[in-house]
Amino acid sequence: MFVDTVVEDKALHKPAFLIGLSVTVLAIFFALNLTNTIFGEFLSPVIGNPEESGFFGRLAVSFVLTILFVGNLLLISFARLKIQILIVWIELFFLFLAFAYSFDLEIAYIFQNDFICSTESARAKLCTPSKIGLMISKGLFTTIYISAVSIAIATVIAIVGAVAKLSNNGFAYAISSFYTSLFRGLPLLLQIYLIYMGLPQLGFMIDAIPSGIAALSLCYGAYMTEIFRAGIQSIPKGQWEASRALGFKFGLILRKIILPQSIPIIVPPTGNQFIAMLKDSSLVSVLGIWELMFLAKKLGAKDFNHLEMLLTAAMIYWLLTIILEMIQARIESKYKQKT
Amino acid sequence: MKVKLSIKNAVAALSIALFSLSMSAKAGVVYDYIKMDNEILIATDANWAPFSYINDAGEMEGFDVDVGREIAKRMGVEVRFITPDWGVITAGNWNMRWDVSVGSMTPTATRSEVLNFPAVYYYTPASFAVHVDSPVTTLAGLNGKNICTTASSTWEMYLEGNLDMLNAPAFTYKVTPGTITALTDGHTCLDDTRLGAGVRNDGIIDSVPMIQGAIEDGYPIKFLGDPAFYEPLSVATDKGNNDPELDAELARVIAEMQKDYTLTMLSMKWFKNADGSSNDYTIAY
Amino acid sequence: MANNIKAQTNSEASPIISLKGVSKWYDDFQALKNIDLEVKLKEKIVICGPSGSGKSTLIRCLNRLEAHQEGEIHITGIELHERMKDIDTVRQDIGMVFQSFNLFPHLTVLENCMAGPNWVRGIDEKEAKERAMALLKQVKIPEQADKYPEQLSGGQQQRVAIARSLCMQPKVMLFDEPTSALDPEMVSEVLDTMVELAKSGMTMICVTHEMGFAKQVADRIIFMDEGEIVEQNSPEEFFNNPQNDRTKAFLDQVLT
Repeated sequence: MFVDTVVEDKALHKPAFLIGLSVTVLAIFFALNLTNTIFGEFLSPVIGNPEESGFFGRLAVSFVLTILFVGNLLLISFARLKIQILIVWIELFFLFLAFAYSFDLEIAYIFQNDFICSTESARAKLCTPSKIGLMISKGLFTTIYISAVSIAIATVIAIVGAVAKLSNNGFAYAISSFYTSLFRGLPLLLQIYLIYMGLPQLGFMIDAIPSGIAALSLCYGAYMTEIFRAGIQSIPKGQWEASRALGFKFGLILRKIILPQSIPIIVPPTGNQFIAMLKDSSLVSVLGIWELMFLAKKLGAKDFNHLEMLLTAAMIYWLLTIILEMIQARIESKYKQKT
Repeated sequence: MKVKLSIKNAVAALSIALFSLSMSAKAGVVYDYIKMDNEILIATDANWAPFSYINDAGEMEGFDVDVGREIAKRMGVEVRFITPDWGVITAGNWNMRWDVSVGSMTPTATRSEVLNFPAVYYYTPASFAVHVDSPVTTLAGLNGKNICTTASSTWEMYLEGNLDMLNAPAFTYKVTPGTITALTDGHTCLDDTRLGAGVRNDGIIDSVPMIQGAIEDGYPIKFLGDPAFYEPLSVATDKGNNDPELDAELARVIAEMQKDYTLTMLSMKWFKNADGSSNDYTIAY
Repeated sequence: MANNIKAQTNSEASPIISLKGVSKWYDDFQALKNIDLEVKLKEKIVICGPSGSGKSTLIRCLNRLEAHQEGEIHITGIELHERMKDIDTVRQDIGMVFQSFNLFPHLTVLENCMAGPNWVRGIDEKEAKERAMALLKQVKIPEQADKYPEQLSGGQQQRVAIARSLCMQPKVMLFDEPTSALDPEMVSEVLDTMVELAKSGMTMICVTHEMGFAKQVADRIIFMDEGEIVEQNSPEEFFNNPQNDRTKAFLDQVLT
């Protein structure tokens, strides 16, 4: 975003804004009434028994929380930009942890292993360190495997689809636009069921994992067709003309001139698609594929500890996404240097 | 003319190919395939401890799993478990993705349109349960209330008043709910009930061992009244791939397991009460 | 005046390019009106005229980057029409230089020049490289061979574009306003390269406003306006004795 070179005073450093903010925050905390929480207990030397502290207790708790909140904002506002971002990130992360902690979960359950490895030596090699170990070694692996294969197939579909969509051939255009319309128009879960249950009715028996990969490839192929089409179209007409003037044929121009130049335009949104697909791959758990989401649900179901396992899966997905975003940023900056 | 002819030929060839493919998947050859591959594929939803679930080593475990292993052993073949969603199993049209369901399925008239039920191997009681703080004390108190259960289950059918079980002990509809909350994952019902009486539902109906397990895991719920009904639970095969030979073999194996008390032993192993006593669910009450 | 550059035109030689009654429309707008033109081997033609006069359209019709709707265009004896199968082989013999260079930005200067011979002429990499280096020397930028186009000035880029076309060893070179997109101080280096090329005996058709270049190099100057050839003549006659009022008005503007 374009940042103007003229610096304005920070809103937080204007007394009027600061007072307005404090009053608003106070009102919100007061309305939420946190007297009977850990905060009330913390202040019990001042307000006495939180249960009986009444209006005064409620106001006191809100007041302290407001001072903490606004003071925190004010302190951060004096830091340099990068430090600011870091601190806010860390604080939000701890808020999220506190949110998860407030569920009153059995965190140890995640790392627990009921299976006794030593009793049956023949099975010892199948022993996993814990539930989280199983989710990573089996679930995460399957999730990445399915997503990677699907994105590769989707890329091929997208190139063919984009070329067809840009061609003058009526059949190619019609088939391609029908395909993108259909697969962008149906929920992914429905596509998974259609392929898994529908195709065998025509005599094409495909297993759960190929069904899942087919559904993901077709769905994301449809979205990526549009990305590739835009990428190809963004190359100036002059490149086609210069290539044509040299006597290059269509396939050669596409392969050697247009696609290499489209890559920097195509890669960032394709990376986004991959990240999105990684998460959407959880939908194939309905087919009984032992990927991350499936294991999270079933492992939690055994001892009725659903939220623990779902939170574990959430953290794994999140971490994975952060790593992928970092890789994507690197690839992007690499292409930026070259062109 | 030439072009037209060749398109016609192509269409004909394609439809013959499709037809023969779909035929090959339909004839009664499931048992032959099991014998040929020396492996039986058993479908069971892994969402139901203690019936079938995934242990911490990533293996299948539970009563249904043990029954499945025993069936395979007595048929003299290897066993492999497949874990599709419950709805996918009950929908039928398996197309030989798996051969048998050993997943505590109740035979109903609706399900028998797509599935065969060659042998009932045990019975479980289904019961209502409510939050411990619930004001409801009798089954009649649940009339007109919001009851939660698993979608496309016999419990849902019971709530709807159209439970068409086959070969089942007699039962009556004791509750007429005002709202039925049917969830794909029945466990969510338990978690909803935990939030408090009347927050997301007023009560649930589920199998007794299941509710028992939840209570033991500290869920603030209690049984309400006597079991609503007893449901027979059967192995199932695909009607689309109808194979009388396989059905006969399954019936023979189950009968054998009943006769030598293998099923009773397995039931005692997996279905324990809070006081440590065991239940024999292989007999209908 | 360096008349020696100009072709010693052989009147018996058959024309390498010929147009008969060529017309072209963009929807309702007629861009070319009944154009007749013949270009002989080694002849140098300069086409000028106000903007929108159809001169760029005309030159782009000569390698069928644009399609004409009426009339006939023959290049090296082959007629250009919409059902032809070997348009790519014809185009390989016609070099074209664009106003906006249109170099391939993802390839180095050397790779730009090698691409044509290597990919479509079937010349092996070593020979293509030698040829490319020789032509880069001819346009006086061999030291830039390993750079990417964006690292070069506009004048240098246009000279690479000329070298790239010449690597295909074309029979005809078309120039579509090659200096219009350049900063003024870079115009002369490109024009010098074109003059050198003219001296070597290449058949050239140039759309340009550079009247000095036209005087120095052209065998014939064609003046177009509103899709028609208004006047064509030798440079001496064209500049000193224009026949048509529209030509006079145009020359008044460009020469002052």
